[in-house]
Amino acid sequence: MIDVRAWVLWAVTALVVASSTRNPLYLVLLLLVVAVVDKAHAPGHRQRAVLSPLRFAAVAVPLSVLFNGLTAHLGDTVLFRLPTWLPLLSGSVTLEALVFGATNGLTLTAIFSGFVVFNQVTPVRDLVQLTPRAFHEAGVVLSIALTFVPQTTHSLARIREAQAVRGHRIRGLRDWLPIFVPLLVSGLERSMGLAEAMVARGYGAVTDRSQPLRLQALLALGLFLLLGGWLAFLFLPSWKALALGGILVGVALIVGVLWLAGRAVPRTAYRTHRWTARDTLVVLGCGLTLAATLLPLPLVDRTTLAYAPFPRLTLPAFDPLIGLGLLGLLVPVYHATRNTQHATRNTAQ
Amino acid sequence: MRRALSVAIYVLSTAIGVLAFIYPFFLNTRATGSIGVAHGQDAPLVTAALVGLALVALLVELQGQAISAKTVAMLGVLVAITSVLRFVEVAVPMPGGFSPVFVPIILAGYVFGSRFGFLMGAFTLLVSGLITGGVGPWLPYQMFAAGWVGLTAGWLPHLTHYVSRVPCSVLRVASRTPRSRGALPTEIAILCIFGFVWGLAYGAIINVYFWPFAVGLVAQTWTPGIGLGEILARYAAFYVATSLGWDMVRAVGNVALVLLLGVPTVQALRRFQRRFRFEVRPFHD
Amino acid sequence: MIHFNQLTYTYPGSSYPALSNVTLDILEGEFVLLAGPSGAGKSTLLRCLNGLVPHFTGGTLRGSVTVAGHDPVAEGPQVLSRIVGFIFQDPEAQFVVDRVEDEVAFALENAAIPPAEMRTRVEEALGLVGLLPLRDRPLETLSGGEKQRVAIAAALALRPRILALDEPTSQLDPESAEEVLSALERLNRELELTIILAEQRLERILPYADRLVYLPSPLPIRGGREGVVLSGPPRRVLRQMDLTPPLVTLGKALGWEPLPLTVEEGRKSANRQIGKSQMANRKSPFVHSSIRPFVDSQIRRFSILHPPFSIRDLHFSYGDTHALRGVALTVGEGELVALMGRNGSGKTTLLKCIVGLLRPQQGEILLEDESLIGRETADICRRVGYLPQEPDALLFADTVADELEVTLRNHGLLDNPPIIPADLLARLGLSGLATSYPRDLSVGQRQRVALGAVTVTRPRLLLLDEPTRGLDYAAKRELVRLLREWQAEGAGVLLVTHDVELVAQAADRVVVLEQGAVSADGPPAEVLTGSLLLAPQVARLFPGTGWLTVEDALAGLLPS
Repeated sequence: MIDVRAWVLWAVTALVVASSTRNPLYLVLLLLVVAVVDKAHAPGHRQRAVLSPLRFAAVAVPLSVLFNGLTAHLGDTVLFRLPTWLPLLSGSVTLEALVFGATNGLTLTAIFSGFVVFNQVTPVRDLVQLTPRAFHEAGVVLSIALTFVPQTTHSLARIREAQAVRGHRIRGLRDWLPIFVPLLVSGLERSMGLAEAMVARGYGAVTDRSQPLRLQALLALGLFLLLGGWLAFLFLPSWKALALGGILVGVALIVGVLWLAGRAVPRTAYRTHRWTARDTLVVLGCGLTLAATLLPLPLVDRTTLAYAPFPRLTLPAFDPLIGLGLLGLLVPVYHATRNTQHATRNTAQ
Repeated sequence: MRRALSVAIYVLSTAIGVLAFIYPFFLNTRATGSIGVAHGQDAPLVTAALVGLALVALLVELQGQAISAKTVAMLGVLVAITSVLRFVEVAVPMPGGFSPVFVPIILAGYVFGSRFGFLMGAFTLLVSGLITGGVGPWLPYQMFAAGWVGLTAGWLPHLTHYVSRVPCSVLRVASRTPRSRGALPTEIAILCIFGFVWGLAYGAIINVYFWPFAVGLVAQTWTPGIGLGEILARYAAFYVATSLGWDMVRAVGNVALVLLLGVPTVQALRRFQRRFRFEVRPFHD
Repeated sequence: MIHFNQLTYTYPGSSYPALSNVTLDILEGEFVLLAGPSGAGKSTLLRCLNGLVPHFTGGTLRGSVTVAGHDPVAEGPQVLSRIVGFIFQDPEAQFVVDRVEDEVAFALENAAIPPAEMRTRVEEALGLVGLLPLRDRPLETLSGGEKQRVAIAAALALRPRILALDEPTSQLDPESAEEVLSALERLNRELELTIILAEQRLERILPYADRLVYLPSPLPIRGGREGVVLSGPPRRVLRQMDLTPPLVTLGKALGWEPLPLTVEEGRKSANRQIGKSQMANRKSPFVHSSIRPFVDSQIRRFSILHPPFSIRDLHFSYGDTHALRGVALTVGEGELVALMGRNGSGKTTLLKCIVGLLRPQQGEILLEDESLIGRETADICRRVGYLPQEPDALLFADTVADELEVTLRNHGLLDNPPIIPADLLARLGLSGLATSYPRDLSVGQRQRVALGAVTVTRPRLLLLDEPTRGLDYAAKRELVRLLREWQAEGAGVLLVTHDVELVAQAADRVVVLEQGAVSADGPPAEVLTGSLLLAPQVARLFPGTGWLTVEDALAGLLPS
């Protein structure tokens, strides 16, 4: 099994790629890659109800096309004109705008499908284990919530039966009250039992771990720099470099505070997954993709990433090197097929 | 000093969150050229990361204060119950944007305070996202917005207190009705209004995330000199066309749920609070 | 090793102390059984061991506790967690994570044990309770007994020297309870862990215990205590207790020496007793205990021919599992039928089919000549009262009186109730609590409120699913008395239970289900003695006599 952290990187890579280009050719390639990975890992894993990317695209693309077409009145190939008395929609509806809308929808779909795969292949409890040390309480809250979700559904069924047995019928919305209130109250009572069990196993009854003043101050400073830098970036175009610097320093400070806060937590983590060569391979694949997309490498023509149908509709360009880079996201497929091969061999024996 | 820092952190991270929501309105026309446009695409991604960071900072601050095991357990269970409701929403087709998640968050924030409300809102969206397969770059926005729903709900009891002293005949009469072993009518009325407003506001906020993809950047990058008013107008149009219908259903749904669940839930929560003595006081020998 | 000195503790907001001047000593390596009626303070005493009282619960504490040289009151639960491991009653409400080994590791994470050592400790703890093969299973797929063993493993991970358990087997069926208890016994024997266990059902554990501690019931009105804390070897303490297991009660009444704790120990004394009473002439195959109610012989005869409630050839399957195969059953007017069987034999499924929560594929269920199949649950429950396994799921109103009203309103009987609610409350012994919040009451009281809620419609048939879990002897007696009152009014009762002693006392007939089919159906004296698993202690002691209860045996042995 591929480690969760590798999957996170994979999902983020897909996200970055989808966000950094509007060229429909690259986007379609990305979608295909994601679909292949999905197919490879899908059989064992349909764990959560999810909207399929195709249905998402069926909604997002037309909506985007419509919107763009109606509100953006640029471009050379005019299809028809809307009367001038309409408030925002007046003007020409151009083909370029429609195509732009389509590419937008495609981008959204690519992002969405990347995350669909991510959700399918990562067991939820492993995700929770990723919670950084500084937030271990949040991690515990998440664990408890996830553990109690199936319990709550069982409880719900039991309470419905119990109320049915005393003559309760569900005819309208009001009738859900005798089901919701016992669910709430029994859940709360259980939570007290759980709190006791946690304290009995060494979880501090009251964590009096207030942050040292230093860290709080640093955190405030980091946020201030971040905010200031961003505002400057938006409103003062001449100070862009400084603004960027401010943002970066702010981010660094915040991350630093998180790390220090994590160090102060007197807990360790029990991990069952160990990082293997497989995971490193996935990371390398993602690195390749990111490099091809983000870094200004000599042979790569990065202008092809940007595609705009304005002012005149043109065919998008394609650089095969970038395309090759995108294939770096296919690495997980190799592992999946090996897994299934092993599995079939084992069952055959 | 500590208090000042605490307030500063709250304000700053909220400001960052707010900025993330409204930045599309302010995106200046940048250097035209194809690379410029390509990078314009990164903006939503980067803002999501920044919002995430602000959220994280706020969480660190909230956790810095004492959290008892009881709070942790209670939060976990309440988040679980509310997430199950969200699961129902996803699996069963509901009219429009109705989500049964918000009212429990509002009520929990109302009874247990702002800090609890924020944590409940943020974690509910996170957990329900995890169990319904809805994790994505929009999650920090959802968490932040839902957290704010809970946080502001924690301010309501103060409001109720002031309202009940208002020398206005209608409200006075309403607050004089004998306590029917639970919440006063004024409380319910305020909660209803609150639920309605947030029903619309939440939709508006989340919508902003998708707006740049649908329209936004074209308008700014390619028509130089476009004013803020024009952008807002476009967004308003976008909002009305795409999500007002949904958000109205959500808002009305919230009101309905408050009327339905409000009194018994608040009663049950308050009773529970009394029974279990939430805050562990040091004992005396 | 453990020393309580004049310990007095009062819960916050309570007017009388939960523990009053308790002085007690427990030695290292002892297996201690903590007994006493509900509300006596067993749970409180256990929680004093690891500091949960008063750090988690608040309140005021006087006197002192010393545990292995540490002071829980001063040091708190976090420190004590490494010395005292605690296991709670409800297997569902103890788990933070949803996988076995992660749960066991939780305590280690809190103690900041280095990761490498964590792995060895987790394996060690799981090995001690025999759960290594289940290590990566999700917790929700485990049985109750397995869950409790995981809880024990989670406590053992920190290598404590003492294990404190608060009624760990009360929510479990007999097989699971046996698993848990043998694991504990092994831990005590092999690792010399000091074990302190609070329990209601003493008979399972008496053979293993080195020491028995009895906490008497508090008397809030007088503000003091009737009776004193008893502590010592089991036999000595049992002599001074009122409510004891049947075997022990019999032994005390007949003056047996030494007091038998298991059936094997009692056999010699029993044979001697039989010899003494010259049993040859006094053997009676069926002794109807004089405490059983007298039901009009006319009605009884009629109901045998034409029972008001009958099931014929009932079949039910979930997907591929054939849960009920051709079940046939009758309940006469005023008759109490006990339904017994192993876990998974279909007992709860049968009850659910009767009330319409499940729809059987084939067969017939008739109540007073009307078929119940296909009718809505709410409709059926006008005439059939069903008390589910967890009565708390029923309670949601503000007061006890409201609970009864809710049921009446649901059925549309508010204007014309079949029983006046106030009368029903009086019968249930809840008159003084009519305005209390149901969830504030004790376990036994809550069960009675739930019973009230389902019987306010004067049902003709009463179904009870494991009603005696977690009840002490006094509450059980109270329940039997209530059931007999209803039987006297002509209602039939179908009681699903594992509790053999209860069946021996209260049942008119016993039906045994095995893998979805009826394997035995007859009077208790026949059915219970026919199987080793189901025989009550008295029956195993005196085989062939048909005696089931202490009263039967005394009536049969002593000169009348």
